[in-house]
Amino acid sequence: MNEAHKKALADYLIALADDELILGHRDSEWTGHAPILEEDIAFANIALDEIGHARLWYELAAELVGGDKARYPDQQVFFRPAADFRCLQLVELPKGDWAFSMLRQYLFDAFEQHRLRGLVQSQHKPLADVAARIRNEELYHLRHTRAWVPRLGQGTEESHRRMQAALDELWPYAQGLGAPLPGESEALEAKLVPSSRSLFDIWSGEVTTFLSESGLKVPPAERDVVADRAVHSEYFGALIADLQQVAQLDPEAQW
Amino acid sequence: MPDTQWPRFMVFQQSGEAEPLLHNGTVHAPDVEMALLNARDVFARRPEAVSMWVVPADAIYTQTREELAAGLPADPATGQPADYYVFAKFSEQTQCSYVGEVRAGSPQAAMRAAIEKFRGQDPLWWWVFPASVVVRSDAGEAGPMFAPARAKTFKDQAEYPVVTMMRQLRSKGKLDKK
Repeated sequence: MNEAHKKALADYLIALADDELILGHRDSEWTGHAPILEEDIAFANIALDEIGHARLWYELAAELVGGDKARYPDQQVFFRPAADFRCLQLVELPKGDWAFSMLRQYLFDAFEQHRLRGLVQSQHKPLADVAARIRNEELYHLRHTRAWVPRLGQGTEESHRRMQAALDELWPYAQGLGAPLPGESEALEAKLVPSSRSLFDIWSGEVTTFLSESGLKVPPAERDVVADRAVHSEYFGALIADLQQVAQLDPEAQW
Repeated sequence: MPDTQWPRFMVFQQSGEAEPLLHNGTVHAPDVEMALLNARDVFARRPEAVSMWVVPADAIYTQTREELAAGLPADPATGQPADYYVFAKFSEQTQCSYVGEVRAGSPQAAMRAAIEKFRGQDPLWWWVFPASVVVRSDAGEAGPMFAPARAKTFKDQAEYPVVTMMRQLRSKGKLDKK
């Protein structure tokens, strides 16, 4: 892999890691507040897993740019300006109600499953290995959130109304999953990563069918797509301040 | 006190291929499929598991040692014979564990058959339930269900310097002056 490819792949991995970190952070906001104890534990597990996956992607990026693998994830998470994060607005949105958080997690996980299947084929062996490991955990996440979608979509009048409202709000943001990530075109050329666009087409057909079967009306595609990873939502500044404030109080502290 | 949450399910777990199936606790869930997922998250993150069952709590027929001292349960009109699993709790310190199987036409008849078949055992209580109500983890999905927990590292409380630091501060009385 030449230097340009390394740099491109590192940018790609940081964007992936940012998605996982911010989604995990939003999920963790349910800890202690989920509708029932068992779900509180289950969703806290999922939040932890996502943050753990972010760490794995940051570490892989560190190896590519010659960073210190042990310190790099913390540097990226706690000491990077909000404007330098490359997550989708999909994962930044406030946690909303339970329907909103479950549906967001489902849409994200369903896409990630296809992306991981592609990454397992990567020509960069360390990336393929990590993808295989993450995929095992993500299969379970998808099973869990997939179980919720029809239950809420077809549960009661209220759960249906909340799910439909969540879908209407999330759909334009979820379209952003299909946009190429930073560094993707160079990394794709070198067969290091799959094409987001082709994954998106598979994902789109699959989730549209599943959402319809779950009693939900899928909004028209490609309307007001929110896909630019360099532009953050109005909620992001507060999220990052919350995430970074303790670490920045005393950057050298040993915990 | 009535349970105000979702229905209860009993969770049974096997920690290794050669290990017995043990009762591990209870989860609430809207249905049995969600119960299995909840059971995985509540009980299989740590310690290890290779297989898990969930059973609706109200499908389990129980008889305690005290109840049996007053006589065996009467056998109502017997229905179609079916397979029943038999579990028993032998001491306060041990988990309710798998004992065997019987075939019977009602929970009461299954209980009588179990006590007869496993004669000589005197547990604190017996459980019987039809095999048909059990939902098991799928062996093909053991990877996503149970493998991630084994690979998880976790930091012991003692590894955080902050714990030692707090103890030192406390011993010097610095935290109590307020």
